[in-house]
Amino acid sequence: MSTSPVIQVQALEKRYDKVEAVKGIDFQVAEGEVFGLLGPNGAGKTSTIEILEGLRPRTGGEARVLGFDPDRQTQQLKDRIGVCLQATNLPAKIRVHEALDLFGSFYTRSISTEQLLKRLQLWEKRAAFYETLSGGQKQRLALALALVNDPQLLFLDEPTTGLDPQIRLEIHGLIEEMKSEKRTVVLTTHYIEEAERLCDRVAIIDEGKIVAMGTPRELQQKSREQSRIDIVTAQPLNAAALPQWPEALESKLDEDGRSLTVYSSRPARTLFEIMRWLDQQGLQLEDVHLKRPTLEDVFVELTGKKLRD
Amino acid sequence: MKTYLAIIAMDIRLALRLRAVIFFNYLFPLIFFFAFAMFMGRDQGNIAYVVRMSVTLGVLGSGFFGAGIRAIQERELNILRRYKVTPITPAPLLVGSMVTGWIIFLPYIVLLLLLAHYLYHMQLPAHMFDLLVFISLGLIAFRALGLVIASVANTMQEGTILVQLFYFPMLLLGGATIPEEGFRGVMKTIHEFVPATYLVRGMRGMMANGQTLVENWLPTLALVVTTLVGGLIALKLFRWEKEEKIRSSAKWWVLVVLLPFIVMGVLNRLGWLKWPSQ
Repeated sequence: MSTSPVIQVQALEKRYDKVEAVKGIDFQVAEGEVFGLLGPNGAGKTSTIEILEGLRPRTGGEARVLGFDPDRQTQQLKDRIGVCLQATNLPAKIRVHEALDLFGSFYTRSISTEQLLKRLQLWEKRAAFYETLSGGQKQRLALALALVNDPQLLFLDEPTTGLDPQIRLEIHGLIEEMKSEKRTVVLTTHYIEEAERLCDRVAIIDEGKIVAMGTPRELQQKSREQSRIDIVTAQPLNAAALPQWPEALESKLDEDGRSLTVYSSRPARTLFEIMRWLDQQGLQLEDVHLKRPTLEDVFVELTGKKLRD
Repeated sequence: MKTYLAIIAMDIRLALRLRAVIFFNYLFPLIFFFAFAMFMGRDQGNIAYVVRMSVTLGVLGSGFFGAGIRAIQERELNILRRYKVTPITPAPLLVGSMVTGWIIFLPYIVLLLLLAHYLYHMQLPAHMFDLLVFISLGLIAFRALGLVIASVANTMQEGTILVQLFYFPMLLLGGATIPEEGFRGVMKTIHEFVPATYLVRGMRGMMANGQTLVENWLPTLALVVTTLVGGLIALKLFRWEKEEKIRSSAKWWVLVVLLPFIVMGVLNRLGWLKWPSQ
């Protein structure tokens, strides 16, 4: 991954009358990176992303996107980026291919409508009116419109909100494709699994401030919560005979003696040792689960609230 | 230019796919025309009057509902928001709206004149081209006015109220439905300030008295000024999103668009304007 920043933000502020939506945030996004802004509704994610897209003027601070100032070089910037908005619509009677042709005509550079339709699995629906599309098809069209100028930088504002799980997975697949094409993606979401699965780095934003930033793994490691290993054996274990596993902090055995829970700071190492011990004891393993702290746990620790609050 | 052409082509296609557009632009005025033509008989003057009434009805409907209400609808439905993230300015959308309205409306005017001529033996205007240019200017001016209303209305409810405030007085007091000879006293004064009056007066001069566009330079100029001022105000006050509210005082901008007609009304009352014979 190249280190040249595609987005540079310093002390960015946004105020709406008396409401401070963004309170002096700093971050950079490198070329080819998928950067996530994670936070609950009203945290300041959309305000931040819309400033960077050139849709809203900032109140304070500095921002450069692809070398452009979003406030002053708005048209040049919009010509180079792709945007998938949180809430948008198209005329009911526009056909899918017409929408792509129309929006493609607004840019100095555009890619073939046929290519886009096939890639976004909309080829069969190319002649359908917008009003007849399902929620997932509309969202795929929104992504196709974001790609119509073949942008190297994409802003996706809550691209899967309100979609059912299967369609959400489809959209995740499309975003992963964009990632594999080395496009830079800025994604806002309040779905933890989306951020964990798709983002190279995540900024957790709450009440207009970035409260933590790093790779999902780095953020998870910052958590005070420990990883948890759940084991179920075919035969009951003797609580008194359980050894002290390496890196294990605490072990608990259920009343039936078959379900063991071990908390560890280095779960892979602890799990390996548990497996070895079970094998030496001739005990049969029925089930094993490893649960690491999620970004949700980190978020709750840092902000004292849940993401869906 | 590529953007302008793409938007105009798309707008025309979208408009023709809507049954309401076909009904209100073609069927409704034609039903209106035939109903009144049958009711008022085959007298030359009466038929010309019905044609003027049908054209004015169409121009006002296209301006206030076709341009104004539709622009508010597109903003309320978050359609304009999608355009906002692209590198275009509001200009192609506004120009597209005006041109599309004109392209859809012009065949109706020609059809109406031909029907009046062939079915009711109305004499065709001596300067047909001038008349078509004049009506076209009227249509574009009233669409500009509709777009200004859309730009100062914060909600569909506000927009509907504003449109009704303009539409009905113009329809009833512009001389299209009630002939201007019927106005007396205060009504006569109000009539002089209503923009539709100048559209109707110009059409009447050209249809009944064989006048040219040049002879009707004053209403022509007023329509051109309205188009330009209205277009600029609509551009300046254009809003892409329903969340972007405009302050209440901005509604006074509508009066700025009407300024040419207010000035003409004042000059008329003072007797400083000389009109070609009607």
